[in-house]
Amino acid sequence: MSKTAVRDDRTSRKLFDVKLLLGTAAVVALLGVSIFTGEYSIFSAEDGAQMFANTRIPRTVALILSGAAMAMSGLVMQLLTQNKFVEPSTTGTTEWAGLGLLVVLFFAPNSSILVKMVGAVVFSFVGAMIFFAFLRKVSLRSSLIVPIVGIMLGAVVSSVSTFFALQTNLLQNLGVWFAGSFTSVMVGQYEVLWLVLGVVVAVFFYADRLTVAGLGEEIATNVGLNYQRLLLIGTALIAISTGVVTVVVGSLPFLGLIVPNIVSMIRGDDLRSNLPWVCLTGIAVVTVCDLIARTIISPFEMPVSVVLGIVGALVFIAMIVRQRKNVR
Amino acid sequence: MKSRLTLSVVAASLMLAMAGCSGAAENASDTASSAADSVSSAASEATSKTVTIEDNYGTHEVSTSPQAVVTTDNRSFEILESWGIKLVAAPKPLIPVTIEGYKNDENIVDIGNHREPNLEALAAANPDLIINGQRFTSFYQDIKTLNPDATILEFEPRDGEKLDAELKRHTLALGEIFGKQDEAQKLVDNFDAALKRAQDAYDSEKTVMGVNVSGGEIGYVAPGKGRFFGPIFDLVRLTPALEIENASDDHQGDDISVEAIAEANPDWLLVLDRDAAVSKDAAPAKTVLEENAALKNVTALKDSKVVYAPSDTYTNENIITYTEVLNSMADAFENAK
Repeated sequence: MSKTAVRDDRTSRKLFDVKLLLGTAAVVALLGVSIFTGEYSIFSAEDGAQMFANTRIPRTVALILSGAAMAMSGLVMQLLTQNKFVEPSTTGTTEWAGLGLLVVLFFAPNSSILVKMVGAVVFSFVGAMIFFAFLRKVSLRSSLIVPIVGIMLGAVVSSVSTFFALQTNLLQNLGVWFAGSFTSVMVGQYEVLWLVLGVVVAVFFYADRLTVAGLGEEIATNVGLNYQRLLLIGTALIAISTGVVTVVVGSLPFLGLIVPNIVSMIRGDDLRSNLPWVCLTGIAVVTVCDLIARTIISPFEMPVSVVLGIVGALVFIAMIVRQRKNVR
Repeated sequence: MKSRLTLSVVAASLMLAMAGCSGAAENASDTASSAADSVSSAASEATSKTVTIEDNYGTHEVSTSPQAVVTTDNRSFEILESWGIKLVAAPKPLIPVTIEGYKNDENIVDIGNHREPNLEALAAANPDLIINGQRFTSFYQDIKTLNPDATILEFEPRDGEKLDAELKRHTLALGEIFGKQDEAQKLVDNFDAALKRAQDAYDSEKTVMGVNVSGGEIGYVAPGKGRFFGPIFDLVRLTPALEIENASDDHQGDDISVEAIAEANPDWLLVLDRDAAVSKDAAPAKTVLEENAALKNVTALKDSKVVYAPSDTYTNENIITYTEVLNSMADAFENAK
């Protein structure tokens, strides 16, 4: 016990430094820009304050929670698979969440957001487990094979969703939900997002164990870690954040991929001290993308998933190219 | 382990392939049965009269007593059903639930929806008159190739033409073909009367916004070009609450934040409920709009100045639907005076 205390003391000193403070300040400033960007003239209108409370604050909170949660689940997934290229949207987990949502909507179209969320979370859990089970059977674990398997799995699931939606006349609704967009985030619609705060806290709590798990099952088991249980917990965390974010916002592609990689490129691979940075960067990336999405064709909005998709695809390609160079 | 997985994948794909084949076999038997029907229809054709009808593709000599009628056009279902015209085939998933005479008729061959049309089943029904349109316009050439002996007509409103004139052209042409000129003229007169009422009752000081609610999201319908309500802005000469260049004519409307709707603060809202037309239990547009905290101070919602299009509008945009909507707009405008 005393040993842990000493180690915690060491990392916590490293956790809070001037840089992190500056980073936090920058992100807070960015969120300030976000909170004052919008179509309604909140200062001149009589009900400005009301509108501010009804749409601006929820939207900004949603940006914080979904950005941090997706970045974290990307990180957890990368540790559990020991692969830098995976995250919920390159492993099919997002597609599973969408299928879950669709199933709930087919059987109970008027169900509350909580029920929809449970459906999405259950399906993404199953989906993530299938992906991990699949990985165990694949002997070729090269860094590119894993995301390719994941993307293929996602494509299969999403074609099942499309077929199902086609047969049940839900195709357009599927498109609407999947286009990750903060347009409809407002009081009464986003509250379940607070659940992902629990995920963020849990990732901090399990940080050290996840780092060890990132060294592989054998090493982790050797140092006395219950690898299977950790895998289950990690998957549950990923499923919760993916499910909740998919239901409230839609898909935020590549976010979990870009953020942990940028952070580890700059800071190296010390998970515990990286965690706050992953959170901050996740929030910053999603906020910038949302700002672009809502101002570029104002008063209309572009789905934030489009902006993220473009940015994310570029980073993804850059990473592959970079990795190739390193290999040579 | 790996080989077992491969095996199950192969098995699964084989099953899928087989499912595809069985579908094809069904179609083949359909073809055989309706080939027999066509002999009888050809015999009586010789005695019938013809009229000259002009459609989007030119002029056609059309028999006034078609034996086997098919329509793929959502705008035609309600009109033809009210005239008691029998169909041999139709895209049944697209027929609005309100048109029970067609929707529940077991004798009508289902040719599937526009995303997965079964054009072979259409040809197998051996139609001599096909009224094509709306969601099936892109299949015009295919339908023509597959049905060389049938007359194919299409009255889809043309780009750059006024919608009211196009709707009337469609209705009157159908009247000519089926010998229902008086009935067609009545529909046109009703439409004109409704339009006049709406124009007279509208106070041009009041601003109007059209929205489309789909999947719980609110989309903006542009004046002039947006789906369904767009042309109504021009017809009734409504003052748009928000006018934006480069708005799309996308059928779902543009993704717009509730803030922008609140900022524009329309006096009137025209609402198209897309989901209501497709699924009976979907969250109705009414709750999406009225339970929205950000919209509760919008004049239109505060004073209940909202006109909802009939729930089947999305799949039933014909002259009758437009007449109904114009009349309910006129009622609402008159009541507000």
